[in-house]
Amino acid sequence: MIKYTIRRFITMLFTLFIIATATFFLLAAVPGDALSARAERLPENIKENLYKKYGLDKPTMERYVITMKSMLHGDFGESITYEGQTVSSIIRDKGPVSARLGLQQMLLGVSVGLLLGVLAAIKKGTWIDYLVVTLAIVFISVPNLVFGLLLQKVFGGTLSWFPVIGWPQGDELWFGGWKYTVLPTLTGCFVYIATYARLLKTSMLDVINQDYVLTAESKGLTRGQVIRRHVIRNSFIPVMTQLPMSVAMCITGSFFVENIFSIPGLGLYYVNAVSGRDTSIVLGNTVIIAALYIIVIFITDILYTLVDPRIRIRGGKK
Amino acid sequence: MAELTKERFKKVASDRFDKDVISRPTISYWGDAWRRLKKNPVAMFSLGLLILCVIMTIIGPYIRGLDFVTVNGVKKNLGPSGEFWFGSDSLGRDLFSRVWMGARVSIIVAVVCTAIQIIVGCIYGGIMAYYGGIVDEVMMRILEIITSMPSLLITLLVMMVLEKSVGALVFAMCVTAWCTTARQIRGQIMQLRESEYVMAAECLGASPMRIIIKHMIPNTLSILILNVASSIPSYIFTEASLSFLGMGLDSNSISLGVLISNGRATMDLYPYQLFFPALALCIIVLAFNLLGDGLRDALDPRLRQ
Repeated sequence: MIKYTIRRFITMLFTLFIIATATFFLLAAVPGDALSARAERLPENIKENLYKKYGLDKPTMERYVITMKSMLHGDFGESITYEGQTVSSIIRDKGPVSARLGLQQMLLGVSVGLLLGVLAAIKKGTWIDYLVVTLAIVFISVPNLVFGLLLQKVFGGTLSWFPVIGWPQGDELWFGGWKYTVLPTLTGCFVYIATYARLLKTSMLDVINQDYVLTAESKGLTRGQVIRRHVIRNSFIPVMTQLPMSVAMCITGSFFVENIFSIPGLGLYYVNAVSGRDTSIVLGNTVIIAALYIIVIFITDILYTLVDPRIRIRGGKK
Repeated sequence: MAELTKERFKKVASDRFDKDVISRPTISYWGDAWRRLKKNPVAMFSLGLLILCVIMTIIGPYIRGLDFVTVNGVKKNLGPSGEFWFGSDSLGRDLFSRVWMGARVSIIVAVVCTAIQIIVGCIYGGIMAYYGGIVDEVMMRILEIITSMPSLLITLLVMMVLEKSVGALVFAMCVTAWCTTARQIRGQIMQLRESEYVMAAECLGASPMRIIIKHMIPNTLSILILNVASSIPSYIFTEASLSFLGMGLDSNSISLGVLISNGRATMDLYPYQLFFPALALCIIVLAFNLLGDGLRDALDPRLRQ
C-alpha cells in the first residue's frame, strides 16, 4: 500500500513536470503575444525594457530554465495585459469564487442525482423510473451553455426573480448573496444530476441481481434493510470512481458557466487570458489547474483503495 | 468379438443424414443486435430523426433558395415568417438555411474527429495490448500522463497556438480524445489475446498486423460502435462550447456553435436567433444519445436478461 502510494506520487510529480514543459513550449509557439500588441506604440528603449522585464528577450531554452526554476520557488509569473497581477494574486482573489460555485454545484448536483438514482432503481418500471431516465438523458443532451442562457433569459430577464449578473463580494464571499448564485449553480448542477442518477441506477440494478442480495432476502430481511445495508453500499463503488471526473467537469464547466453569468472566477479569467494571449498567465494558471486536478485524482485514488478491499489487495501486490 | 457379416454393411436410409442439420436459420451477432434494436421504439425513432437531420443538412440550406452568406442590410432581424421560416439574423441572412448549414459543419467536424479518434485509438491500443511487456508499460505511462490533464485545457491551448480554422479545431479536439478508445481497445484485446483462435492464427504464421486487423478489430467492433455513438454528440458539444467561448471557429464561418454564440449577443431583443440553433443542437445531440443507449442495450450481451 505504501509502496503503491509512493509510486503514484512520483508519477504525479513527473506528470506535472511534463505538463509544465509541454505548456511552456506550446505557448512559446503562439504567434503574436499580448506584449507585442502593447509595445507597438512605445519608444524603442522602453520596449526593450518591457521585454526584459518579462524575460522575453532571451532565447526560448534559457527562458524555459528560468521559468521552471521560478515555478519551483512558487513564482508563477506576472500578467502581461494587467500589470501587477501575478498568478498567485489571481488565484487568491478568484479561486474562492470558483471554488464556492463549484462546491455548490457539486453538492446540489451529486446529492439530487444520487437520490434520483436510488428512486429510479427502487421503483424500476414505474413512471418514476421513466421520468428520471428521460430527465437524465435530456439534461445530458442539452449543453449547459444553452441551459444557462435559457435560465438567464427566463428567470433573470422575463420574470426578474434573480439578478442576471453579479457575485457576492467581501464578507459574503462564502456565505450570503445567495440570490446571485442560484442561476449559475442550477446551470452547472444539471450535468451532475444526470450523470449520477444514471450511474447509480445502473450500478444498483447490477447489485440487486447479485447472489448475496438473494441470500439477504432469503434470510428474511425486509426490502428496506436489503437496500440500505447491501445494495446501496455496494453500488457506491462506481460512483466513487466518477467523483474525480466530476472535479474535472467542474473545472472545465466553470469556463462556460462563469462566462455566461460573467462571474469573476478563475474560469472566466483563464478564458480571457487565453483569448488575449496573455502567455505568462496562461502558463501559470494551466500548471496550477492541472496540478489541482491531478492532486484530486491522486487523493481519490488513494481513498478508493482504502475503501474497497478488493482493490487494496491488488494495489498491495503491485 | 462381433463377427463382420454382410448385413452389417447395408445402406442406411439417406433421410437419416440430415437429422443434425439446424432447421432454423442461425442468427449472427449482428443480426441479433439489429433485431433487438428494431424492437426498441425510442432507438428507432432517434435513428429516423438522425437520418432526417442528415438529409436536411444536405438539402436544407438550399430549400429556400435564399442567399445565406451575403449581408442584406434591408431585411435584418426579421422574425419567423413565410419568407424566413426561422427569421433572419442581425445581418439579414436567412436563419433556416444557416442552421442547416451550421449543423452540416458541426456534424462533419464531429464525424471526422470521431474517425480520427477511433483509428488512432485502435492502432495505439492494439499495439499496446499485442506486444505487452515494456512496450505496453511505456505506452500506458504516456496515456496516463495525457489523460491526467483536463482535456479542455489542452484543446484551448492548442487552439491558441493554431489559427482558427476547421482543421485546427479538429486537431485540437482530437489531441487527447483517442486515449479513452485506446484504453478500452487494450482491455478488450488483452482478453481476446488469450483466446484459442488467435493462438491458431499465430501457429499458422500470421503476422502481428494481420492478427490485429483480421481477428482483434472485428471482435472489438461493438465497443467501437458504442464509442462512436457517444463521441459524436460530445464533439458537437465541444465544438459549440468552444465557438461560444470564442476559441472555436471564427464568427464568419457557419457552425451551430457560432450561430449560438451570435444569437446570444442579440438574445434580449431577438430570442429566436438563439432559439433555433440551440434547438437544432439539442435535437441532434439528443437523437445521438438515445440511439447510443439503444445500441448499448442491443450490443452488450451482459445487459440481456
